[in-house]
Amino acid sequence: MKSQALQELVKKIFGDEKTRLQFESNPDSVLAQFNLSEQEKKAVMSTHAKLGLVSGDSQQLEAVMHDTNTWSAT
Amino acid sequence: MIASRSYLTMWRERQIKLLKDEIEAVLASLTGEASLFELAKESLSKVRGLAAETEHDRPWSLLSLIVCEAISGRYEHALPAAAALELFRASAEVFDDIEDGDNPDSIVARYGSAVATNVATTHLILAERAIARLKQRGVADCMVIRIMDTINSYYTVSCAGQHLDLSLNQKMAVSEDVYLKITKMKSSSTLECACCVGALLGGANQELVDKFALFGQNLGMASQIANDIQGIIHGNDIAKNKATLPIIYALTQADGEARNRLQLAFRKQPAPMNDYAPIRDLLFLTGAIHYSTIKMELYKQRALDILFNAELAEASIERLRLFLE
Repeated sequence: MKSQALQELVKKIFGDEKTRLQFESNPDSVLAQFNLSEQEKKAVMSTHAKLGLVSGDSQQLEAVMHDTNTWSAT
Repeated sequence: MIASRSYLTMWRERQIKLLKDEIEAVLASLTGEASLFELAKESLSKVRGLAAETEHDRPWSLLSLIVCEAISGRYEHALPAAAALELFRASAEVFDDIEDGDNPDSIVARYGSAVATNVATTHLILAERAIARLKQRGVADCMVIRIMDTINSYYTVSCAGQHLDLSLNQKMAVSEDVYLKITKMKSSSTLECACCVGALLGGANQELVDKFALFGQNLGMASQIANDIQGIIHGNDIAKNKATLPIIYALTQADGEARNRLQLAFRKQPAPMNDYAPIRDLLFLTGAIHYSTIKMELYKQRALDILFNAELAEASIERLRLFLE
């Protein structure tokens, strides 16, 4: 299912420097501004804990993706 | 910890060996036709049914067996169904190569569409024969029919998803909702199927069968999104102008110059791209990769929650958690 709030959150973090800095120092305060479900908040924080803000083609990201290699996908 | 890892490796190697033996027993009816036998075996190696799995790979081919064992504590009677699922997957791979025409190593590229179609059809027939072998493992006739109907139902959905995907005009703006619908039908339905079949053969009640099916569906969605992200990192999906989740996000959410560049690349450009690096960088900068990673985590989180729920119903979920770590 599509999540409007999740799209808005990511757009704000990547499009607004002030929000980006706020998210890096206090992610909860930014999350509170969006109507996210508890699972969405968990997913955001889990991604942040593993990868930070994914803004570069990092080897860390590739390693994480490799771990979720596919069977179903073609 | 070391003992635990070693135990897990031994358990997995045993299941893989038994599955390979089962697949080879099904393929044995082709030994009179050496060429067809080799081609059928080759495509099974590509979907892992007969491939060597390393310690770091997720044992996707064992998913139905692991679900079955999680519920009932045994799995040997489910081996023919796991073999059938591998044969269905192999068939889908060969048909995909025929439809996409973009894999130079594929059977269709090397032998032509007539031979490839026959190989894929052979996989389908052998898959049905594999299901019938459940009877030799003591599975009741009514359950054999139920398994056959379940697998065929899920693969009908998968074919419908593939049709929907093929029907979309490449220049058409695909929404996230449509993308998720296609992914659910075309890709995650196969993992949902594996979990459902495993649960049925484990003797689960309908409520638990539904839980495991939903677990498989969420696992499949996460897996496909991971594949999408890899397609951006390695550039192959950009080069093919493929509308995957990161690209759909960027096309709908990016503003200004970034949006213009993406629209030019994906909606107006007549030919596949050779230099994908600038577009890949743009997908990172707009947050498209970040958004997709969060969505992947979200589906994994849902799958994990369902597993905990299944654990409350006394299923042993330890090995299934390996798929989410």
